[in-house]
Amino acid sequence: MRMKRMRHALPYLLLTPSLLLLAGFTYLPIVRVVWDSLHDRPLGQKKSLFVGLRNYAGLFSDQAFLKAVTNNLIYAVGTVPLSMALALLFALALQRSSRVNAMLRALLLFPSMVPLVAAASLFFFIFLPGVGLFDYYLGKIGLRGANWLGDPDIALWSLIGITVWKNAGYYMLFYLAGLQTLPGDVLEAATIDGANAWQRLRHVIVPLLAPTTAFVLVIALINVLTQVDHVIVLTRGGPSNATKLVLYYIFEQAHENFAAGKAAAASVLSVAFLLAMSVVSLKTMERGTHAAS
Amino acid sequence: MRRASLIVTGLMLIVAFFWSTPFLWTLVASFRPDSAIGMASLMPDYKPTWANFAEALDTGNFAIYYLNTAIVAFGILAVQIVTISLAGYAFARLSFPGREAIFYVFLLQLMLVPPILIVPNLRTIVDLGLYGSLLGVMAPYFASAFGTFLMRQTFRQIPRDFEEASVIDGAHWWQTLWHVLLPMARPGLIAFSLVSLMAHWNEFLWPLMVLNEPRTQTLTIGLATFALGTEGGKEWGVLAAGTLLVMFPLLALFAVFQRQFVNSFMFSGLKG
Amino acid sequence: MRWIPSLAAAALAVLAPALADAQTKIDFFFPVPVDGKLAKEMTRLVKVYNESQKDVAVTAVYTGSYDETKLKAQAAANAGKPPAVVLMSANFVLDLKLSGDLVSLEPMLKADGTTREKFLSDFWPALHANATVDSELYAVPFQNSTPLLYYNKDHFKEAGLDPEKPPRTWAKLVADAKKLTKGSGDSIERYGFALPEGYDYMGWIMEALCMSNGGRYFNDEYGGEVYYDTPSMLGAAQLVEDLVFKHKVMQQGVVEGGAVSTNFLAGKVSMMLLSTGSLSFIRENMKANYGVAFVPKNVRNAVPIGGGSLVMFKGLNDEQKTAGWKFIKWLSSAETLAGWSRFTGYFAPRKSSYDLPEMKDFIARNPDAKVALDQLPYAKPWFATYQTVAVRKALEDEIQAVLNGKKKAAQAVKDAQRNADALMKPYVDQTALKLP
Repeated sequence: MRMKRMRHALPYLLLTPSLLLLAGFTYLPIVRVVWDSLHDRPLGQKKSLFVGLRNYAGLFSDQAFLKAVTNNLIYAVGTVPLSMALALLFALALQRSSRVNAMLRALLLFPSMVPLVAAASLFFFIFLPGVGLFDYYLGKIGLRGANWLGDPDIALWSLIGITVWKNAGYYMLFYLAGLQTLPGDVLEAATIDGANAWQRLRHVIVPLLAPTTAFVLVIALINVLTQVDHVIVLTRGGPSNATKLVLYYIFEQAHENFAAGKAAAASVLSVAFLLAMSVVSLKTMERGTHAAS
Repeated sequence: MRRASLIVTGLMLIVAFFWSTPFLWTLVASFRPDSAIGMASLMPDYKPTWANFAEALDTGNFAIYYLNTAIVAFGILAVQIVTISLAGYAFARLSFPGREAIFYVFLLQLMLVPPILIVPNLRTIVDLGLYGSLLGVMAPYFASAFGTFLMRQTFRQIPRDFEEASVIDGAHWWQTLWHVLLPMARPGLIAFSLVSLMAHWNEFLWPLMVLNEPRTQTLTIGLATFALGTEGGKEWGVLAAGTLLVMFPLLALFAVFQRQFVNSFMFSGLKG
Repeated sequence: MRWIPSLAAAALAVLAPALADAQTKIDFFFPVPVDGKLAKEMTRLVKVYNESQKDVAVTAVYTGSYDETKLKAQAAANAGKPPAVVLMSANFVLDLKLSGDLVSLEPMLKADGTTREKFLSDFWPALHANATVDSELYAVPFQNSTPLLYYNKDHFKEAGLDPEKPPRTWAKLVADAKKLTKGSGDSIERYGFALPEGYDYMGWIMEALCMSNGGRYFNDEYGGEVYYDTPSMLGAAQLVEDLVFKHKVMQQGVVEGGAVSTNFLAGKVSMMLLSTGSLSFIRENMKANYGVAFVPKNVRNAVPIGGGSLVMFKGLNDEQKTAGWKFIKWLSSAETLAGWSRFTGYFAPRKSSYDLPEMKDFIARNPDAKVALDQLPYAKPWFATYQTVAVRKALEDEIQAVLNGKKKAAQAVKDAQRNADALMKPYVDQTALKLP
């Protein structure tokens, strides 16, 4: 009897340390952000007033917010499929264990190890118009560089490039791990039979990797909305709002414009969106696993 | 077949070269004596100098920065491994009412972003009496939704036969977890360790908010003193040197770890 | 994994927050907007102060850029740990006062038996507006800068121009820039002129151009008015447009400050407007001969002030306030300011700093520092309104569009005005338009 009650309590006991910590450092802030999103502090007053959904309404009438949403969509479409596809290709090419492959994997993973504080400045130099690394070597092969971060038509794509560069190696890790779980003969066959490699990739390997893909997709989607450090340090959303992403908009409202209510409303929306996306893709993943097994 | 794999390796060599040009440049620039002319060149066409490193090191007490950063990054990881193993095990292997719901509630942590967290979490840290301490920097990261997620996935991929055998032998759940599941989950754990270390080694904004004394500063804060200047010009050589100083331990760790890392990926428990 | 508990214990034991004793301990947050050596110098200065007296123990905390310093100071104050003294970007002072974060310094002046007028009389007049809000002192200027024209003397010689006669007017600036620009069309090897055009810097430079064109840019006594849609600003915006598209002497698109100085050092640009705060950096790194001069004028000589001021945050007890004020007075003494100025290249906000013998000697040895000093009497306050950053960006976004050929100057200043007015409306409604 005691054993049995113990067994019932066990899962909760195991979760307690995590849940306590999450309560303090995740749920508390969430409650606060939801509260903030429904309140506003009038100018020069100490007390906040309940304003209902006015902050949310204000958001949708703000051109800058709508622009940020559009930018974020372009950014997602530009980074997620490309970095995931590259990650899978890298993983397939480097899955065999050898000294050379080990080194190549390390090189591809290095971009995720650069400290952001420095990465920004380094990329600033690389993209520097005229004298930067990019333009210097483009000039050597007779091409003319561009104002990579200073032209609103190009700037967002430059940031997309950085993100793909930074994340592809990182996602490769998960595909490498995922490939390990596949039956060895499937991979062997896929590599030997060169003519059919593409067919096998499409019809055997990719479906078998569906759980990994769903996992990486969730991580990638979350990154799209929660990682904007490069925007903060490289372009600050400019020029002319061309690289303003949703999180940067939140950052700006909260810390530059003292508009806590609006920032909170935008945060609530993005958390809700991310949670919905994650639930959907994890459900798909679970179904995928069942189908495969 | 050999030729095909040689071609693949060759292609990957080219890709990896382009992928690493920013690092190559950083390395070359950090030894360049002159900060303006030919800065963009990837060729070390100069007499190398340690001056940039000397100047970077001179801006702060790097020995303390290294120590503090290591304490933060490894301290977080140590606690995380415990919390995520327990939680991952519960989600992967035990069935209990509310499992789904609690799991998604866990995931919320992944979706929160620094601007929302800074103000409330700093208050919590102050209330706990941890303001200004390294423990205050670490505490919010002790639970990890990402890690729990990863461990859940890893545990679920391990065939149940292994544990069933150990349960039949009369082992307790913690013995099963410790002796059977965790060793087999090594690839997941190692991947997570790497990710966690990279994230916390390089973190800047949160430590900047919590820490309040030179003796508790971390590496990235030291690096920021010369990376973030705007009114002056950029001293690219010093910046490159500083970046390498911050990255070096991580790169070294990875290089040393690489064999084990690969091995655990390749010959993990799945083969028995 | 036996090392886990011992590691945690070590972290706890060694790094728990320090306990207070008899001395008043205060925190001083400072950013480093120029370069790393400054952080070291500031730490040294604070050490000198701590050793010079026994009542106050100051901990100097490096807090990143100006933006991060503001973020940290506000977050810390919010969490109940307000810093006693913060070196804050001078144009955040108004916003921080309006949001209720800052302590008025008037009571301290009163306790010292002085008045605001007396206290400020030694500071350059242009600094007064950014130090006061609604006729109360909220900030003490500490490090300041103005824009300056830097030019490459070797390029001047090569182009047949007199290297001792830099352009003083917009007309001459354009004429010289045309001669200095090398190459044409798609293959320009060297641009005659460059401006820093990233956020923050762009607004400051536009303020310089607008003021040199006779404009005022904003109402320095009321936070709800900017003068974007005016002839003086239109002229400035048109100049920027023409430099790129008509005269073709400046690169198209936005170029950040760091890119401008790098291009200047590399000889890819012959003239640039940049902060006096960059003087030391250029002096140390420039291989070619260079000179500095006033920002060229169209109507009159005028430049905005920039830089950082010392402020105190709300939530301090009386002891901390007294200690903080004592430290501020020491930091802003003529001697400390003079030393800091020589080390950093900023100019000293106190006029009397320049009467000190070591400062006279320094100016005599560095003619470029003298030019910066001579320009000071023409300086005007720095842009600050309700929602300073957003209102500034309203203009910057439009000028950036002009630089990219997406908009004409005339339309840009109109749109900037409309957006800025919308941003300031809540404040205007509660102040100037709140009628009985």
